Amino acid sequence: MIHLLLLLWFSGQAPSSEALDHLRAGVAADKQHQFDIAIVEFRKATELDPNLAEGFVSLGQAYMEKHEYGNAIPPLKQAVELKQDLIPAHQLLGYALLVEGYAADAIPHLKLAHEMGALGIAEVQTGQLKEAIANLQAALEQRPNDPDLLYYLGRASGLLSKESVDTLIAIYPSSARSHQAMGENYFVLRQMPQAEREFLDALKQGPDTPELHLELGDVYAKSSQWEKAEAEFRAQTKLQPGNAEAAYRLGSALLQQGKAREAREQLSRADHLRPEMPETLYALGKTALLEGDVNDAEKSWLKLLSIEKDSDLAVQTHFALAGLYRKQGKVSEAEREMQEFQKLQNVNPGQPATGPH
Amino acid sequence: MWTRFMQLSSLWILMATFATDSTPLLEVKPLRGVDFTLQNSPTVQKYLIETMPGGVALLDYNNDGLLDIFLVNGGQVVDPMKMPENFDRHEPLLWNRLFRQNKDGTFTDVTSQAGLADAGDGNYGMGVAVGDYDNDGYPDIYVTNYGKNTLYHNNGDGTFTDVTAIAGVAAGGWSASAGFFDYDNDGKLDLFVTRYMEWDTKHSKTCGAEWRTYCPPEEFPVTTNILYHNNGDGTFTDVSQRSGIAAKKGRALGVAFSDYDEDGFTDVFVSNDGMQQFLFHNNGNGTFTERGLEAGAALSQDGRRISGMGVVFQDYDNDGRPDIIVTELPREIYSVYHNDGHGIFSYQSLETGLGALSSGSSGWGIGLEDFDNDGWKDLFVAQSHVLDNVEAIDPSLQYKQRPLLALNHNARFERSDPGSSAPTASRGAAFGDLNNDGWEDVVMSVLGGPPRVLLNRGGNQHWLTISLHGARSNRDGFGARVRVNGQTRFASSAGSYLCSSDKRLHFGLGAAETAKVEIVWPSGTRQTVNDVRANQFLEIREPEKP
Repeated sequence: MIHLLLLLWFSGQAPSSEALDHLRAGVAADKQHQFDIAIVEFRKATELDPNLAEGFVSLGQAYMEKHEYGNAIPPLKQAVELKQDLIPAHQLLGYALLVEGYAADAIPHLKLAHEMGALGIAEVQTGQLKEAIANLQAALEQRPNDPDLLYYLGRASGLLSKESVDTLIAIYPSSARSHQAMGENYFVLRQMPQAEREFLDALKQGPDTPELHLELGDVYAKSSQWEKAEAEFRAQTKLQPGNAEAAYRLGSALLQQGKAREAREQLSRADHLRPEMPETLYALGKTALLEGDVNDAEKSWLKLLSIEKDSDLAVQTHFALAGLYRKQGKVSEAEREMQEFQKLQNVNPGQPATGPH
Repeated sequence: MWTRFMQLSSLWILMATFATDSTPLLEVKPLRGVDFTLQNSPTVQKYLIETMPGGVALLDYNNDGLLDIFLVNGGQVVDPMKMPENFDRHEPLLWNRLFRQNKDGTFTDVTSQAGLADAGDGNYGMGVAVGDYDNDGYPDIYVTNYGKNTLYHNNGDGTFTDVTAIAGVAAGGWSASAGFFDYDNDGKLDLFVTRYMEWDTKHSKTCGAEWRTYCPPEEFPVTTNILYHNNGDGTFTDVSQRSGIAAKKGRALGVAFSDYDEDGFTDVFVSNDGMQQFLFHNNGNGTFTERGLEAGAALSQDGRRISGMGVVFQDYDNDGRPDIIVTELPREIYSVYHNDGHGIFSYQSLETGLGALSSGSSGWGIGLEDFDNDGWKDLFVAQSHVLDNVEAIDPSLQYKQRPLLALNHNARFERSDPGSSAPTASRGAAFGDLNNDGWEDVVMSVLGGPPRVLLNRGGNQHWLTISLHGARSNRDGFGARVRVNGQTRFASSAGSYLCSSDKRLHFGLGAAETAKVEIVWPSGTRQTVNDVRANQFLEIREPEKP
């Protein structure tokens, strides 16, 4: 495509006919994926006409198609020297430099070429995180499922987050937020005693800091200390009565302890605050069943299945419904749900393993 | 969308002595004369067998009325192992051991004189099953191994003879739990042997990145369990294929027996590691059908595979129907499959309170025994993580753990002090009344250490312990359903993990001073004994004629 553009580009110019012949021969070879022949032809063209910027671009591109990015850089640099407004040359040079690790050098060329994705990646590598995030998000609007863009956006966000936290800890080491950030780090590393200590310190410094009780509750939940988890989630719901996640987590902690009635109350509240959350609906079904209310359990689970068709939660729900119907003696319904369960399980065989064996 | 969420009978029973007494019900008591260390021989190769033994059997091998203890040892693992595998079992340190209980409560090591010293150099010990397979009145011992299994016939004179070759029950591969039961009700005990996986030291792997660790079971191929039919002439026939047992391959660790659908034939529950559990329904014609999924006893409440290890198949809620409880790894909860009748189970780990008690624990041996004699079977679980370096991998988990003692209050389990403050790497747990005081005790196996014995302090409640003596049924009465004052037990020495428990049937009677005993023998004979005095060991013989 670039070759065609280039041919059009210089169609109004006047390279020597011999150079043009080699250029055309190179394009033909390139189309046939005969890159070595193409390189020879493009090189001859540039030797015959050293001012033929388009010839250098084609030569660089042929090298890139062979994944010889280092060899592509000199002709591409020559091209942009000859013709500074030759956008394809900037685009290719930016990519080649980026691949070879010269991210900072690549940035001006990628900017000129408006290559937002590659520019964002280069900016991640040079530590220009805010710019990177903006450019990667812009690129993702064009290509929403591009794995590289998604990866680099995640990485940039993470690095930016770390940068902010490092600054926070450096400037306010004893603040509630610093302890909270440290607690979160320990939580991710599954170092629960340390995470607990940090969150408790954070609560001492700032008892009203949003989410602290929620996070401390998560620490206890992860360590299966359900009574303590319940207490923290309850504290969070008092601080933030409108926090649906806090209500959900409190309901879940109560459910783990078999406190069905209270769990149901909290989960209903979570459902009211944030309707149609599949996780809440699933837990609501479980609490209803725990209380012997099979109709409500069925209702919650069917509602969930109207929202989620083939997620892990949907798989679980079909299994739970099978058990419910089996208990009711509804044999055909139970069989139907088991079939759905098994069908989806075959599609989604990756049930999460639970902890290190 | 926001981020995915990470996940009585009467009042006096509740007010019974132990519910309010802060003194632990059980206490750790070393037994004089029991000198044994379970040699699991951990290596940096992380051979999976190292973390899996070992069995404990409580049996009265010489019929003197006192429980004796048989302990299975592991073996010497070298780093790396060479083929053919040799575990140096001729070394006395690595023998299995039989300890005879003396009248004064001490024990004597009788391994050599009993003829049990030779465990076979190619065998790394795992578990033990006990049953009187030839109906001569003396309990025989079956030892499972990684290697070949061994059947020791009890000669009745204090000695045993290795009859494995004649009996044809060596199996092979990696056997785990085993148990005797009479699947065809012909009056002769058959033998079920679980096998864990297709594995050998040559094809072992290690897992983990920074930390070398034991691999999860999914890393190795599944294998079959084995059912041996007792021919009645000292030999057994492998009927795994024709019975349908071999049709299902798994990673079995535990096995327990009961008649869950009351059709008169004993069914088999097999706990599998990292996959669905197996409920083999006995069709009554010599074949079995695996019905775990359709019966609701195969997966967690959320339809997830579970790391099934130990299992108990007894009635915890006194509705007369046997329920199933499976021990698992942390991040899972121990699964309670409540028997709803009509061949259906419902998952009730949360309802029973066991979910909250077990979500951070890793369970192996398990038993439902009425430790406080209040008429409700309590739960005991030997606990420890499978990975000896789990703290380094996940600091929120612990390798050594305290056992779980959960008292049963009207079918709801509540944590109680297990009487063992020091955490251990426990594996097997066998249950029985070691000192014949009417209160159930526990013996746990501990990796790299001596067995941990938890003696019951006792109290004021009444009890009744029944020995069955089958006539038309098998001599041990295994498979009999025994109902005493509204409680039901299914006669079996199997269950738990790798272990064999006291075959006597223990019942707590609470304040009742008499009991009504109703028995349905495997032969179909029904027998009722009224006005049985409490606080006694009672032998009940099956009527010769129905």
